Amino acid sequence: METATSDEQIVERAVSGDPEAFGEIVRRWERRIFALAFGMLGREEDARDATQETFLAAFRSLRGFRGEAKVSSWLHRIAVNQCITRQRRAKVRNETGLEDEAEKNASVFALPSEISPARAVETTERSSAVRRAVCALPADLRQVVVMKEFEELTFQEISEALELPLSTVKSRLYTALRQLQMRLEKFGEPAR
Amino acid sequence: MTKNNERPICHRAEDLVAYLYNEAGEIDAQDFADHAEQCDACRSELALFRQVHESIVLWRNEALGTFSPASQAADLAGATGSVEHVPHERKLSALQALRQFFSISPLWLRGATAFAALLLCVLALVVISRSWRPPAPVAKNSAEEKVYTATQFHDAVEKAVNEKLSQSEVSAQKSPNVAASQGQTKLPNQRASRRELANNSVLTRSRGVRGLTRAEREQLAADLLLIPGRDEADLPFVFSEEPNQ
Repeated sequence: METATSDEQIVERAVSGDPEAFGEIVRRWERRIFALAFGMLGREEDARDATQETFLAAFRSLRGFRGEAKVSSWLHRIAVNQCITRQRRAKVRNETGLEDEAEKNASVFALPSEISPARAVETTERSSAVRRAVCALPADLRQVVVMKEFEELTFQEISEALELPLSTVKSRLYTALRQLQMRLEKFGEPAR
Repeated sequence: MTKNNERPICHRAEDLVAYLYNEAGEIDAQDFADHAEQCDACRSELALFRQVHESIVLWRNEALGTFSPASQAADLAGATGSVEHVPHERKLSALQALRQFFSISPLWLRGATAFAALLLCVLALVVISRSWRPPAPVAKNSAEEKVYTATQFHDAVEKAVNEKLSQSEVSAQKSPNVAASQGQTKLPNQRASRRELANNSVLTRSRGVRGLTRAEREQLAADLLLIPGRDEADLPFVFSEEPNQ
């Protein structure tokens, strides 16, 4: 029976010079980090770049990882910071807003072929509304929603990753869900 | 309860989200369920938040399904409420992992990597060309295959020159006797005469003394019992530095 190696053990190997260890970390976490970045940025291309930058930043700070926090928390914290940095840069460059960028990507989402055209349109519209609503959230609320909904982290893990009290994470998620519900209601999407 | 945005808010908001995401303990969950039966605000929000949650999940599945069609959906579906990692079926080599790593890298990073690799190659070539020098020429004795150092070589040359000079001096001391005996008596045989002539010639060349005169050559030819022909009489000896007369 194969015993799974923990992330912390793999990071230790990477710090001690094992060239393949960090690749293993990347393979384990790239999908989750991509999901987090996509939820935060709302755009696939940006999410790919942010994922790449997250692992590069993690590799650079590998020797600074003391093992006091979990690898997952460490990576999530780096990813969230990368996403926030990208958003700030985008604002400074006065680029197109997140909502508009997300709209451009609406057509790239694949839908199962067995869904009828009417249902497909409805699904796409609803997803688009949710995407706009999530992207319109303040960054501190959005990151909690994304970590919970996209990565399915526990409150405790989110608390560790963001270095926030558990009660703050819960209250932020509650506030975020409430704002989302109101925005979706405004978009005409609350009822199914 | 308080009113905010025309909707009541219950003080158990944190319990509500914990219950919604199945993170409340068994006792807490039961407690909140009992509360929600009595609290319209919590019951209403629970229903609305479930709709929001389902909508987000739908968006997530649609969006991330394009990233990695099969495995992504399977992983995400199987990872509900857990952060346990999916075991990997195969272990990639370092080269494959690197290739995979760069496959999702932006264009600027690929360009920078290629430029850095090129620069590294050029630097390596420059360093190699500067550090390489042709091997120093080594004097070889073809018979013994012995290798001499520069000092040994100079010593050997100096020794040989000294020997040669000493031989020359010895010959120079003998040559006046030879010349005197040539003028009075004939050499007993041709072989001795030739040797003397050779010694005289070497001395003449090595010390810069003039060659034999015509009279001396005729005398020498007569001593050697050589009768020169008409044409040969005009020819100078090989080592003579005297011009033809």
